[in-house]
Amino acid sequence: MSTATVPERTIAAPPVHRRRLDWVVGSLRGYAALAYIFLFAPILVVVIYSFNAGRFLINWDHFGTDWYGTAVANRGITGALRTSVVVALVNAVVAVLIGMFAGIALARRSGRWRQPFLILVFLILVAPEIVDAIAYLIFFVRIGIDWGFARLVIGHSVFNSAVVALIVRARLEGLDESLEEAAADLGATPSRTFRQITLPLMLPAVIAGGLLSFTFSLDDVIISSFVTTSGFTTLPVYVFSALRTGLKGDLAAISTITLAGTLIALAVTFFVLRRSGESAEGVVTTITGTG
Amino acid sequence: MASTTALPTSPARRRRVRWPRFTMAIPAWVWYVVFFVLPILVIVLYSFGYKPPVGSQSSIGLDRLSFENYTNIFSPTFRLTFVATMRVAIIGTLLCLAVGFPLAYFLATKTSPRFRGILLGLVIIPFWTSFLLRTFAWRILLAANGPLSSWLQDVGLINGPFAILDTRGAVQLGVLYNYLPLMVFPLFVALDRLDPALREASKDLGANRLKTFFQVTVPLAMPGIVSGLLLVFIPLAGEYVTPSVLGGAKGLMAGGLVASQFLEALNWALGSAMAVVLVLLILAAVAVFGTVGWIAARLIKRRRRVEVPA
Repeated sequence: MSTATVPERTIAAPPVHRRRLDWVVGSLRGYAALAYIFLFAPILVVVIYSFNAGRFLINWDHFGTDWYGTAVANRGITGALRTSVVVALVNAVVAVLIGMFAGIALARRSGRWRQPFLILVFLILVAPEIVDAIAYLIFFVRIGIDWGFARLVIGHSVFNSAVVALIVRARLEGLDESLEEAAADLGATPSRTFRQITLPLMLPAVIAGGLLSFTFSLDDVIISSFVTTSGFTTLPVYVFSALRTGLKGDLAAISTITLAGTLIALAVTFFVLRRSGESAEGVVTTITGTG
Repeated sequence: MASTTALPTSPARRRRVRWPRFTMAIPAWVWYVVFFVLPILVIVLYSFGYKPPVGSQSSIGLDRLSFENYTNIFSPTFRLTFVATMRVAIIGTLLCLAVGFPLAYFLATKTSPRFRGILLGLVIIPFWTSFLLRTFAWRILLAANGPLSSWLQDVGLINGPFAILDTRGAVQLGVLYNYLPLMVFPLFVALDRLDPALREASKDLGANRLKTFFQVTVPLAMPGIVSGLLLVFIPLAGEYVTPSVLGGAKGLMAGGLVASQFLEALNWALGSAMAVVLVLLILAAVAVFGTVGWIAARLIKRRRRVEVPA
């Protein structure tokens, strides 16, 4: 590799030209293409194999859309999907409400409470999910929360609200507090300042946090399979137990349908955020909470 | 929300009529203490209990507490799994860094801003499709008689069919796949914030590319590297789903061991103790690597120090 740089350095070409022929950029491009293939190959496999009309998903038999019909007609699957969506929605609302105020407090109210709170949030974010899962199971059994729905919502909301708190905090810290102060100076009550200034300003972060909470909850396997009770089977829990007996095409079909739904929802969010003046990169970092 | 009793008169006074500093975080405090801190403490308590005799109503015996579960964990059968878990987690994390860094570097420095958002979005789209199905798809891709295996044999790239499924190798690949985006993001953010002028300055001062990369880019991206390592290592060490889908019996990791105590053996006390050991191991590993990294950074810094005349 290093030999290739030698001729290039001796020809004192102007930087612009050198750039175009750059072997580093070229190989990085090729590398990135391979990385994307790696990332998308399994997804492609799921989509393609959802059209596998064979009896078991793992062996390709012949093309057919049969499993789509089977999946949609299967009460177990559609019921699990419905449970997943409802749990994810309620969890997103709970996570946004709890996380949003915590995020505002983190960004706007300094004080000695902040350090321990951030440590707690950090611990929540990094604790292995299997540990959370057994902790919730033991705890719910111990204090007698038997309702599967509440167990799922609570179990998901702890992690998700911590994510929301950090996203909202990052957004508000990037914004000047003087806007809120100006509103107060101009006679707005605190609640009005909140509704008309703070809330619109942090809306992208709230949307992003809500969306993340929704998708995390929708796809959660570990906590869900530990805390769930009969009658509250979510789709991932259903898939996880189906794995033991061998997956069939119906689950690939339902995953392809939900993938299409998720992509549409993401595209809509992307364009909404873009319309509100964020750069594409900003939108992505906001959506993923890394901004 | 806030009261409408905000006092009029001077703006300065009005601004002071705020809630106490942490009021807005109270719901989160309550939520986290009740539904995170307490459950974790209960695990610790359970880890000293014992499995009640068959037929008992309770799922745990707490009337005599002992370290028995912990001594059981250090018996060879369990210990080997814990050691293997740490190995998979460390190798997996380093693989994620090795594979993810060039990608993050490419995205942050070699793409036009117009496509950067889209390209970055593509890295996380896999995150938004069913985790289980994606992992299961690797069973199709890696199957001995699967399409990829037969194609590679036809082309002559491999000699025999794949023999990776249900081994640690498959788990290693699966975790690399599942955790790669978690590594790419913090790396991207760190590299993206890096001012290109710094790299140019290094070049102008006569450093070649490798030197610029290792002495300017990497040190400045260190915060991103560290958060990426943490973000990947900690959940990876507690993995349970990927090994159970791809690893079979040979790929069992500590997370699966904990799960089986709760779901199959119904020995909550032993399972709790395993969870405690798992968390302690993760923290110990982070502490060890953190210390080593810190010392290494100090040594390098001292060696490379440039004395600037006052």
